[in-house]
Amino acid sequence: MAGETTPPSHRRHPIKHTVGNAAVQRRRQHAVSVAKERREAMFRTKRLCMEGISISSDAATDNEMMVDEEPMVLESQTSKAVEELKLAVSFKGKDAVEKKVHALRELRRLLSRSGFPFVEIALKSGAVPLLAQCLSFGSEDEQVLEAAWCLTNIAAGTPEQTKALLPTLPLLIAHLGEKSSLSVSEQCAWALGNVAGESDELRELLISQGALIPIAKMMLPDNGSTVRTAAWALSNLIKGPDPDAATELIKIDGVVDAILRHLKKPDIELATEVSWVVVYLSTLSDVATSVLMKADIVQILVDRLAASNNLQSIIPLLRSLGNLMSSDAYTTNVVLDPGHEITESIIRSLSKCLKSEHRFLKKEAAWVLSNIAAGSVAHKQLICKSEAVSLLLQLLAGAPFDIKREVAYVLGNLCVAPADGLGRPSLLLDHLVSFVRNGCLCGFIDLVRQGDLEAARIGLHFIELVLRGMPNGEGRKLVEKAGGIDAIERLQFHENDDLRMMAGLLVDSYFGETYGLDE
Amino acid sequence: MMMTDNHLQTQLHSEFQYWFPVLRRFDPDDPFFASGNIERELLAKQVALDFTEEEKQQLRNLDDEGSEVICPIVGCGANLRSLAEFEDHYNARHTASCSVCSRVFPTSRLLSIHVSEAHDSFFQAKVARGYAMYECLVEGCGVKLKSYKSRHQHLMDKHNFPSSFDFFKKAQPSKKERSKKNQRKQRHATCTTENEEGSSANAMQIEEETLNGLVSAVSKLTTSDSTPSAISFGRRHTRGLTFVPRVVQRESKQ
Repeated sequence: MAGETTPPSHRRHPIKHTVGNAAVQRRRQHAVSVAKERREAMFRTKRLCMEGISISSDAATDNEMMVDEEPMVLESQTSKAVEELKLAVSFKGKDAVEKKVHALRELRRLLSRSGFPFVEIALKSGAVPLLAQCLSFGSEDEQVLEAAWCLTNIAAGTPEQTKALLPTLPLLIAHLGEKSSLSVSEQCAWALGNVAGESDELRELLISQGALIPIAKMMLPDNGSTVRTAAWALSNLIKGPDPDAATELIKIDGVVDAILRHLKKPDIELATEVSWVVVYLSTLSDVATSVLMKADIVQILVDRLAASNNLQSIIPLLRSLGNLMSSDAYTTNVVLDPGHEITESIIRSLSKCLKSEHRFLKKEAAWVLSNIAAGSVAHKQLICKSEAVSLLLQLLAGAPFDIKREVAYVLGNLCVAPADGLGRPSLLLDHLVSFVRNGCLCGFIDLVRQGDLEAARIGLHFIELVLRGMPNGEGRKLVEKAGGIDAIERLQFHENDDLRMMAGLLVDSYFGETYGLDE
Repeated sequence: MMMTDNHLQTQLHSEFQYWFPVLRRFDPDDPFFASGNIERELLAKQVALDFTEEEKQQLRNLDDEGSEVICPIVGCGANLRSLAEFEDHYNARHTASCSVCSRVFPTSRLLSIHVSEAHDSFFQAKVARGYAMYECLVEGCGVKLKSYKSRHQHLMDKHNFPSSFDFFKKAQPSKKERSKKNQRKQRHATCTTENEEGSSANAMQIEEETLNGLVSAVSKLTTSDSTPSAISFGRRHTRGLTFVPRVVQRESKQ
């Protein structure tokens, strides 16, 4: 095929070739534009629709239209397209539908370009009211689909652009209905997902307009891209910070069952989107958390995590477990019975994450471990027997600060028995000694030296454990050798009252006048 | 032999905040999760570039001429590319359509609301008697209003619907109806202010006129005029058909 080397243009190749070929072409050419978007889309939760839901039969003619043009030319093309649409919408004669579909398609193509989707000019030309009219009940599927596609990409833009969709929202929501064709409802869900992802005000608006139930229902069938898109849109809709939507969602008939079902399926993308729904359910709603726990979700998540190898699926699984565990001691104490395989499995998976090249994965895995380590003595022993400990010690020595801090929590929790409400909690000496022998003191003293309040506090706490617990009074010498005295003394001039006090107490108690007089 | 200061030890014991293992939790929008969130969206974009199994199947269907299905429903004849698509089409266009005016609705609920409001003169009769018959369109709300307009107001006030939203859009009118409409519009143009919502307000007014006509006509029906006792009102399309022409006749007589 001529032109194998695709220039970074927006030329689309004929689909008449084999699927594999076309997929490679598209992937290649879009990789360039995705790299550009990477920079722009740092905190975006919206998704531009470039490929569309159903591949229409005139896709072959798509390519003839998509020529590499100057932005100015394309801008004027966009306003022209809106004009065309205006004429088509008011036209009442024969072939009215075809005219509308054709005009919509033109506009849609211009709005689907990555890099410069000409959203602003389309809006200024008055596209939204026209698109709203194209969404009226009883309209041809193709028409509703194209209109929803245009709206999807407008909503993927700036906050102002997304807000421009306001008049169309009730219509988009209505077309989510069970009587709409799948591709129509999916495209509408996509548009609404983009709107929901914009802000919590828009989320609340959508919920007040009744979006939650229809989107939730779209997640109930067994398979299809619609289910996946619905799950994604749903996660954007319930992400809060208002917890009501999450609580309402879990009460809808069939939702819990669907979530569990999808999490057991081999379809990775579907399970990933559904896991994200679980992330928000578990972090926002206690009701949802307890319902999910009763349905044995922890086992399912742990199993899935153990079997997952790609980053995309691991993130939400890890986070769901983290949320479930941090909400209630019940999870650690009862569900993760230290005698059962489930606990060993999750510790194994977490250790795997500690070895990941991705920084945030290490950090979040350490966080989850710290909560398991806050459990019973048996839990702590289980962790210490695993490979997690050596990984943690390595990370404490050399990892970036945010990871170090989480690791510190794990190690500290492993050395201290659960609080029994009677004053000072007792130490687990064998763990403490083992860590110190492995040189962890340096890492903690580093934390003390950090400007960060929390880090310094953890550092001081651990040093106190060492000073108190190391046999034969070894603690003091070890701390001194590692440069600890100096680090602690500096804190005596810190602006924070607590730190000053703690530092002072430690110095006075352990390194006071009597220090140095021992053998 | 360790010589420690007892006083200081006690002070440490009472004031120092010892390490207590506790569960630590983060809010969903805590910066702790920020880097993971970014990864999610970047990965999602990447994934969107690959064809799914279904898309591949659809592409295969494009080339496969033999899999075409034509919808057998009288008056439809739509071309579908596969059996699955036909089922989808049938579900969308032939199970939620109004048998009176053929309008298609995305949910059964909206369909039945439409049928009551547009084709059921029993509904109009109740409205005329002051019952709150117009249901809120948002499922689960449950509120009923006394008029189309007040329902519209409720949608705007309670559910943030835009004022341009119009549930009952008139269908493609025939030539006769279009000329009638133009006459009415000319009459109204003098007394209604044209604004952005002008056209839809006009449509609403015309429709309200029709409905008012219906209501007054229905209220003029005496019991002796009305149907035999063994009738069931409501969403039975055939009954609707029987009534509508009757009422329209009355209106035109005025």
